Amino acid sequence: MLRKLLWILLISFPLFAILCASFSEENPTDRRVLVLLDDFAIKSSHSLYFKSLESRGFDLDFKLADDPKLALQRYGQYLYDAAILFCPTVERFGGSIDVASFLDFVDSGHDLIIAADASGSELIREIAVECGVDFDEDPAAFVIDHTSYAVSETEGDHTLIASDDFIQSEVVLGSKKIEAPVLFKGIGHSINPANNLVLKVLSASPAAYSANPNSKLSTPPSLTGSAISLVSVVQARNNARVLISGSLSMFSNWFFRSGVQKAGSTTKYEKCGNEQFLTELSKWVFHERGHLKAVNVRHHKVGEVDEPSIYRIKDDLDYSVEVYEWSGTSWEPYVADDLQVQFYMMSPYVLKTLSTDQKGRYYTSFKVPDVYGVFQFKVEYQRLGYTSLSLSKQIPVRPFRHNEYERFIPAAYPYYGASFSMMAGFFIFTMVYLYTK
Amino acid sequence: MGRSATTKDAQALFHSLRTAYAATPNNLKIIDLYIVFAVVTAVIQVVYMAIVGSFPFNSFLSGVLSCVGTAVLAVSLRIQVNKENKEFKDLPPERAFADFVLCNLVLHLVIMNFLG
Repeated sequence: MLRKLLWILLISFPLFAILCASFSEENPTDRRVLVLLDDFAIKSSHSLYFKSLESRGFDLDFKLADDPKLALQRYGQYLYDAAILFCPTVERFGGSIDVASFLDFVDSGHDLIIAADASGSELIREIAVECGVDFDEDPAAFVIDHTSYAVSETEGDHTLIASDDFIQSEVVLGSKKIEAPVLFKGIGHSINPANNLVLKVLSASPAAYSANPNSKLSTPPSLTGSAISLVSVVQARNNARVLISGSLSMFSNWFFRSGVQKAGSTTKYEKCGNEQFLTELSKWVFHERGHLKAVNVRHHKVGEVDEPSIYRIKDDLDYSVEVYEWSGTSWEPYVADDLQVQFYMMSPYVLKTLSTDQKGRYYTSFKVPDVYGVFQFKVEYQRLGYTSLSLSKQIPVRPFRHNEYERFIPAAYPYYGASFSMMAGFFIFTMVYLYTK
Repeated sequence: MGRSATTKDAQALFHSLRTAYAATPNNLKIIDLYIVFAVVTAVIQVVYMAIVGSFPFNSFLSGVLSCVGTAVLAVSLRIQVNKENKEFKDLPPERAFADFVLCNLVLHLVIMNFLG
């Protein structure tokens, strides 16, 4: 009996090891995703979107937002790698979760997809504000656009809008161009233009405004024009990514399958761009694209292989680093021509653009400047849609040793000649002085 | 009238200086020649530095200092050896020469170290 137990224990150890290999530095794609819903009808009405996620290998865990057994972490470990909040009307989260726990979730590097909607709750609004996105204060407001609405049989109040003002980034939206406009019906938000961590992925047209369609406008609307963002992403400094959308219905099957015709244009598209747009965006949010890692920082004197512990001024040195991009399944070499290294002590003394061998290795060589002190090799790389690289390696630089200075300088030959001629003159003088009468 | 008088006075002055100098003993004349050599070498070096710039400044200092130091030591030897000098009447000239040689050795040691 005891022997059987021991044997079972022994077998289960490798199983534990496999379980732990779910989300790690070597494999940055998220695996376990918590999906919070207002009610389970959303699970079926948005099934196309969830199916596309599951087909890429994600484990979706559907729960009601006020489920009392909700928990994000247990014993200090997070149970999920990412979360999708499709619960715009939730007043209070169930279990032990609240706004602060979601913010800690993002702070610890996990990703989030949040969909708000018109008549959304304060809770979702609060989470969005902490991420840098301000929804319209009026909860009953929709984004209305009388020039870019989607043409439909029923007259409508122009709250269903078609937008094709995408962010220009192949990393975020994929390399294939989205032909059809994206249908949107919901609440708009604005971002602070001074905040460089938040990006507007889908903006409203310049004629859009945010107001309640059922009531008369008494004051001019606060959110107008292209400042209204329909879908935004936030990439935090710890490289966690958050997608915030003002419409839950843009993820639904109905929207995915419907065609679209923008008012004022004659082209009618069979299928709107929602599915392609949101699928590509989810690839970016869950780190299947645009996730960089820099490894193997090496520096050494030209001609040597080992890394010295100290350099001397006016040494020639080589610096190299390898940068890879995660493709969803493996690390591919990252190819760019704008990676730079600084030789930095309070300010960069040397700034060089690294050349690449197209296989992920970036290298350069330069001369150590004529200043001694403690320097750092710094690589700071921030590009739209990519994770930020921030590498720093410290190295001291010493001045010349007593016997490393230049000798026999040609410009000083007259002085050498004068000194030696003085010595010769002294010798001749003593001879002459002693032996004349 | 005034012009010819001053030139005549200048010529008379030069003539008297030259005859007085011709009367100095030979060994002092040799020392004087040595001093002139040292000073001219120093002047040449300063002119060269003014043209080219003072890049290896320690070499420049070393060269000029060797010339100036040599001149100074030669002047002190001349003072001590001159028989008309009452102050050094009891100093044997051999002693003065021995001091001169030793000081020159020290001077050249320092110069070679500083030459770089």
